[in-house]
Amino acid sequence: MTRTERIETRLREAFSPAHLEVRDDSESHRGHAGYQEGGESHFVVVIRAKAFEDKSRIARHRAVHEALGKELVSEIHALSLDIDT
Amino acid sequence: MTTTDDAKTQIDETVKSNDVVLYMKGSKAMPQCGFSSRVAGVLNYMGVDYKDVDVLADNDIRQGIKDYSDWPTIPQLYVKGEFVGGCDIITEMTLSGELDKLFEQNGVTYDKDAADKIREANG
Repeated sequence: MTRTERIETRLREAFSPAHLEVRDDSESHRGHAGYQEGGESHFVVVIRAKAFEDKSRIARHRAVHEALGKELVSEIHALSLDIDT
Repeated sequence: MTTTDDAKTQIDETVKSNDVVLYMKGSKAMPQCGFSSRVAGVLNYMGVDYKDVDVLADNDIRQGIKDYSDWPTIPQLYVKGEFVGGCDIITEMTLSGELDKLFEQNGVTYDKDAADKIREANG
């Protein structure tokens, strides 16, 4: 599985989102720190799920980090999160 | 990897003895990463007096700050010793006006007109 697929799978399992978009944004960081040949280093995630109700911004981000797991998070150079209900 | 006691003590002292601290890649004058640059840019533009700590200068601090806040990414903003968020959260809070409120509640001086200009330009 690619990293994009792993991110998608884990977030779907954890939050059953109404909307989920996982975008590999690595190309726009070509030549910058952390860029890896072949991409999959910089990601943008847009997620909308009821599971985030009554959670603070920090708690929402922490929940996503936790669902992805330490290993996957440490493989990714940059993860931009847009989280809402 | 685990944090050395020295790094934890140093971080604790830094965030508690400075009202506003930004752990970032590079310095506020010369950020080395787009995400750090965005947050430093907001604080610079809003005229906030803050301490910048370059995590690229010290590997123990770079790992230590992630353990300290249990947060995997840089930049990280602290106000009065409390972790506020990273790039996405600070951007959202700037646009929603929550960052203004947080500064006001903590007696941090900032330029309200500049904050409004950021919101106008990104509204």
